Amino acid sequence: MSENKLKQMTVFFAIWLVVGLLLGMAFKEQTRIRTAELPSARLPDLARAYVQEKRSNAALEEEIRQLRQRINELENAFASGTKQAQVLNQSLQEAKMIAGLLEVEGPGIELTLQDSKKRPSGESPELLPELYTIHDYDLLRVVNELRQAGAEAISINGQRIVSTTGIRCTGPVVFVNDVKMASPFVVLAIGDPKTLVGALEMPGGALADLKSVDPKMVQIRRLDTVRIPAYSGSTQFRYARPITTEGEQTP
Amino acid sequence: MIAVGFVGLLLGVVIASLLLDIPLPEEWAAYLSLAALAGLDTAFGGWRAALEGRFHPDVFVSGFIVNALLAAMLAYLGDRIGVDLFLAAVVTLGGRMFLNLSLIRRYYLNQLALRRQRG
Repeated sequence: MSENKLKQMTVFFAIWLVVGLLLGMAFKEQTRIRTAELPSARLPDLARAYVQEKRSNAALEEEIRQLRQRINELENAFASGTKQAQVLNQSLQEAKMIAGLLEVEGPGIELTLQDSKKRPSGESPELLPELYTIHDYDLLRVVNELRQAGAEAISINGQRIVSTTGIRCTGPVVFVNDVKMASPFVVLAIGDPKTLVGALEMPGGALADLKSVDPKMVQIRRLDTVRIPAYSGSTQFRYARPITTEGEQTP
Repeated sequence: MIAVGFVGLLLGVVIASLLLDIPLPEEWAAYLSLAALAGLDTAFGGWRAALEGRFHPDVFVSGFIVNALLAAMLAYLGDRIGVDLFLAAVVTLGGRMFLNLSLIRRYYLNQLALRRQRG
């Protein structure tokens, strides 16, 4: 009996030991998974990382700006040389102006688009929540309209609109030049203020829908001087190559 | 006997969390947890059986192994066919643990009452 009892005790001990081992391993494993996962569960860390990235991004953009300025200086220095070089530099500056690589200023407008603070009420159930927010297509229509009205430079929240600019909704944010932004959107445009405002306020035009939902979503100001920053994104072409005609050499 | 069990449990947890470092694939983590749950259930069952004086080591050990394997297998199968079968194991094992625990509690309360009557 005593031997039997001992055997029972041993088995009992062994099983509880194994249970303990399993529990401990499971516990450890779960803890590891929780900490190894993407830091979605660790918002403070994520926020810190975000701020850090943003700061380094800003620093890099500042560096780009400085380098571009340096290029300008070098080009000017080069231009002060021969007559030929001067002509070359002039056409270079024009090309850069068209490409949006220079900071520019001039008369224009400031258009502010923001999400409505109104919410769909019971009286107008046909108005969907989508109507109360600014979307990529609103911005696209505005940009298109401004260009059509002769705007010479356009920026959205400090992002210069250039020939390669994309404007696209991704969830609750809009990407312009691959930079995330959200309401309010400040659109700056240089051009004849009267023409620009007229184009935007055309009946049934780009802003008509927004205004009909909530007039407060749209604000237009005419300005004597608008400063529009240079494009600070990449200017590298990865796929397109210029075609050289016979006898002509591309730089 | 119960004390022996608890020492074992404590020792197991300590060993697993401090000494053992077996890197397991993440997909296994769920099965491991379930196996641990099944083990815990069997251990509670053994405790109850011991109190009732009908503890059989062979039943105990085989129950432990089979339950743990079945629970893990159910979870695996459920993953494969898109049904949360592991819930079946969780509900069954969880329910039985509560049942066993209540019987264990009653046993000790009875003992206490008996001792009071005598004393």
